[in-house]
Amino acid sequence: MWRVIASVLAAFFGVQKESRRQEDFSRGGAGPFIVAGVLLAIVLVALIALVATLAAG
Amino acid sequence: MASHLPPKSSTQHSQPASAGVASQAHEAPKGLKRWLLTTNHKEIGTLYLVLSLTMFFVGGLFAMVIRAELFQPGLQLVEPEFFNQMTTMHGLIMIFGAVMPAFVGLANWMVPLQIGAPDMALPRLNNFSFWLLPVAFTLLLSTFFMPGGAPNFGWTSYAPLSTTYSPPSTTFFILSLHMAGISSILGAINIIATILNLRTPGMRLMDMPLFVWTWLITAFLLIAVMPVLAGVITMMLLDINFGTSFFSAAGGGDPVLFQHLFWFFGHPEVYIMILPAFGIVSVIIPTFARKPLFGYASMVYATASIAILSFLVWSHHMFTVGLPLVAELFFMYSTMLIAVPTGVKVFNWVTTLFRGSITFEPPMLFALAFVVLFTIGGFSGLMLAISPADFQYHDTYFVVAHFHYVLVPGAVFAIMAGVYYWLPKWTGHYPNLRLSQWHFWLSVIGVNLTFFPMHFAGLAGMPRRIPDYALQFADFNMVTSLGAFLFGLSQLLFVLVVVLCVRGGEKAPAKAWEGGEDLEWTVPSPAPLHTFETPPDFQPRRH
Amino acid sequence: MRIRKRLVWTASGAALAVPVSGALASGWNMPVGVTDLSRDIHGLHMAIFWICVVIGIVVFGAFFYSLFRYRRSRGARPSHFREHTTVEVIWTIVPLLILVAIAIPATATLKAMYDTSEADMEVLITGQQWRWRYEYRGEDVAFLSNLATPREQIAGQGKKGEHYLREVDEPLVLPVGRKVRLLLTSDDVIHSWWVPELGVKQDAMPGFVNENWVRINEPGTYRGQCAELCGRDHGFMPVVVEAVAPERFDGWLAERRAAAAEAAMGLDRDWAMDELMERGEQVYGTICVSCHQPDGRGNPPVFPALAGNQTLMDDRARHIETVINGVAGSAMPAFRNTLNPVEIAAVITYERNAWGNETGDRVQPSAIAERIAE
Repeated sequence: MWRVIASVLAAFFGVQKESRRQEDFSRGGAGPFIVAGVLLAIVLVALIALVATLAAG
Repeated sequence: MASHLPPKSSTQHSQPASAGVASQAHEAPKGLKRWLLTTNHKEIGTLYLVLSLTMFFVGGLFAMVIRAELFQPGLQLVEPEFFNQMTTMHGLIMIFGAVMPAFVGLANWMVPLQIGAPDMALPRLNNFSFWLLPVAFTLLLSTFFMPGGAPNFGWTSYAPLSTTYSPPSTTFFILSLHMAGISSILGAINIIATILNLRTPGMRLMDMPLFVWTWLITAFLLIAVMPVLAGVITMMLLDINFGTSFFSAAGGGDPVLFQHLFWFFGHPEVYIMILPAFGIVSVIIPTFARKPLFGYASMVYATASIAILSFLVWSHHMFTVGLPLVAELFFMYSTMLIAVPTGVKVFNWVTTLFRGSITFEPPMLFALAFVVLFTIGGFSGLMLAISPADFQYHDTYFVVAHFHYVLVPGAVFAIMAGVYYWLPKWTGHYPNLRLSQWHFWLSVIGVNLTFFPMHFAGLAGMPRRIPDYALQFADFNMVTSLGAFLFGLSQLLFVLVVVLCVRGGEKAPAKAWEGGEDLEWTVPSPAPLHTFETPPDFQPRRH
Repeated sequence: MRIRKRLVWTASGAALAVPVSGALASGWNMPVGVTDLSRDIHGLHMAIFWICVVIGIVVFGAFFYSLFRYRRSRGARPSHFREHTTVEVIWTIVPLLILVAIAIPATATLKAMYDTSEADMEVLITGQQWRWRYEYRGEDVAFLSNLATPREQIAGQGKKGEHYLREVDEPLVLPVGRKVRLLLTSDDVIHSWWVPELGVKQDAMPGFVNENWVRINEPGTYRGQCAELCGRDHGFMPVVVEAVAPERFDGWLAERRAAAAEAAMGLDRDWAMDELMERGEQVYGTICVSCHQPDGRGNPPVFPALAGNQTLMDDRARHIETVINGVAGSAMPAFRNTLNPVEIAAVITYERNAWGNETGDRVQPSAIAERIAE
């Protein structure tokens, strides 16, 4: 679970290690990655919105 | 300048002889019928590319009219009404007619060849999605001959200029855009189905060439946003013809709603036009640097990241429409974030070159120019992200300079790089080296003369989409117009190179470029009509 | 061969460097402007510009160094490294930090731009195809601001003036040193009111009101133009702001108020044909001509002809109704609030008696005023 989140975060960040990638892609299903990706995208939106709201004060 | 270096090694894979025999066994129709009815991915790819080149010249002709009128202050050649039709149709034709079909054409040709598939997954659908396009663009161009002329409200079609105040031909514009949209969605479905199902055994997703990867992500973007475009233009259709008021405050609607919907489509659309370009460049640079792409995994992840973020930034096109402060900040921050993965890509290309063994064949020249000039477009994009400054930049020539840098020496140069790269595979001949180099250098000079001065015109205060301008912008505009004529004329050289290459030239072997490592270089040049009828052996190599 | 290539690179480098240094000269760059906010915006613009220049030098430096140093013609052998996570993380984090650093002042400036509170006065700016209307709220002063450049100059007959396309018949006059809240709206399509030196660009949306504000530091004449494509004469819709000392502004405003009161007086009397035709020709020439053309032939189908328009000439009531209230769902706006009754009466009279329309009708201002009062 933690590994999936870490990989998706790496995707958001745009940097990933080859070895990690090999592991991710030998895990089988893409399901967990897609779910984590959607959830974290929502978290990202909420986070930016939060910062914007605070900044607008 | 280095010449082509045919591979010395004898390790070329060659197709089983049966491939050629099988293609002759079909009773293929001849002449026009062959092209109307074809379900072959290579023929359909060629059709897409020919359509794209045609539209590139049609849209280019409109650009020449615009630049001729703007050559000096005053109204000389065209009426303002017609000028607005030119800017509108130039944008529409270049985006939907030239750039998008070119990428789909390249995908048709190369995706099956790069993943070892015999054809696209849905060949009949492929035929249909192509033939929608000539119909769509014939309809769109026919609006010039309708009363009131062609659409004149800019390709962005902001309501109510595009609804209440639009010429009668707008309804036909909407229908043609619907057709182009359906074509794009069907094409995208086909590409996804092909990539997910038809990879040769042993090729995992992460073994795919980057061109295939970027197209996979682009196809998902297309499926996500083309329906939004369809929705918003349908709302226009209803407002115009059926008395609704989606975009009219008088009936309880809101013109800003149009812009939100349009840019929710429009911003991912920008990435639809650049991600496949990233893919092409990421394939070409390693070939001619003779070195694997630096950070392949990061490249894929950064592409995914850009795709996700592209849905979160649409309102940065709308900073001056009167958004609430919080929205303004949100879209400023998210837009700045998208610069990061884009930067990662540029760094990776540069590092791929570092300690390589570089040669400068025509595809490489275009790919290298892409890296530099796209980055300049990225810089101005970063400047535009700063919302307070955007209040000054917005709707000026600075924006025109920005998006032309990412689209012309960006997307278009990448397409040309791809064409030069794969022409030997398509035709069996190398393109004429001397002419290609002339084409490259004239294009680079022309493109910069055209678009660089636009930055200054915009900063000095020249709004976009005006047929006449104040005297302080005269020098910039004259240089821009001269550059545009040079760029336009030098594209005739491109046609010459392609035509000569189809007819003859230095013979290309299967592996036309020494550093080419992907599967397309294992089939003979020119690629026979049917390839990979049995899946090829694939050795996963570390990227 | 090699020397030639180096020459090409040097030349292309120089080709880029010359305009960049030139950009810092005035006339090539964003103006610093004459308000605190325009200065802040200019500061942000230059900050992000220099950040881009520095990143550009590093990236393009590495790029051209690699191209030069690792050419195969120079005998370069390819190495085969594929990734370096530390380096990748660094070059992701560093831009991120730079962006945060620029986001902080940008946020502060944006908040200041959005603070329209505590204004000393209010001006309602209304965009119309293709002119601006300025209304000093609560002062009974309102007027139209039209392009003043003669059509001959645009058509290339005669020398173009210094302020070609950026001159108006009546500029917006504003006091120096006072905070002015700008309310923006539109009568037809979207326009955008832009004066670079004031650092203000704000869209005028039909049916909605946007806010912005300006406090000008230096007296002077500041020129801009409509920034949002608004139809045929989008390029001919200048904005001119004249900033004057507060005392002069107060005097000017009082004068305008008196003039407006006087203009309303002509309502009671009976106007002669000549008077109406003369005034009407003038109004037609500034307001109606851009769509309906100098010869009244219009530009069908969007802009119908007035000359020889028999249905209109037969139906005087409809003609009056059209000018006063516009035609819903078409490009014809309502002129009820834009023109005064004298002007409306005059222009209708003119249209009914010009270009071979010989109805002989006279439309009286008093009748128009009554019609509007209904």
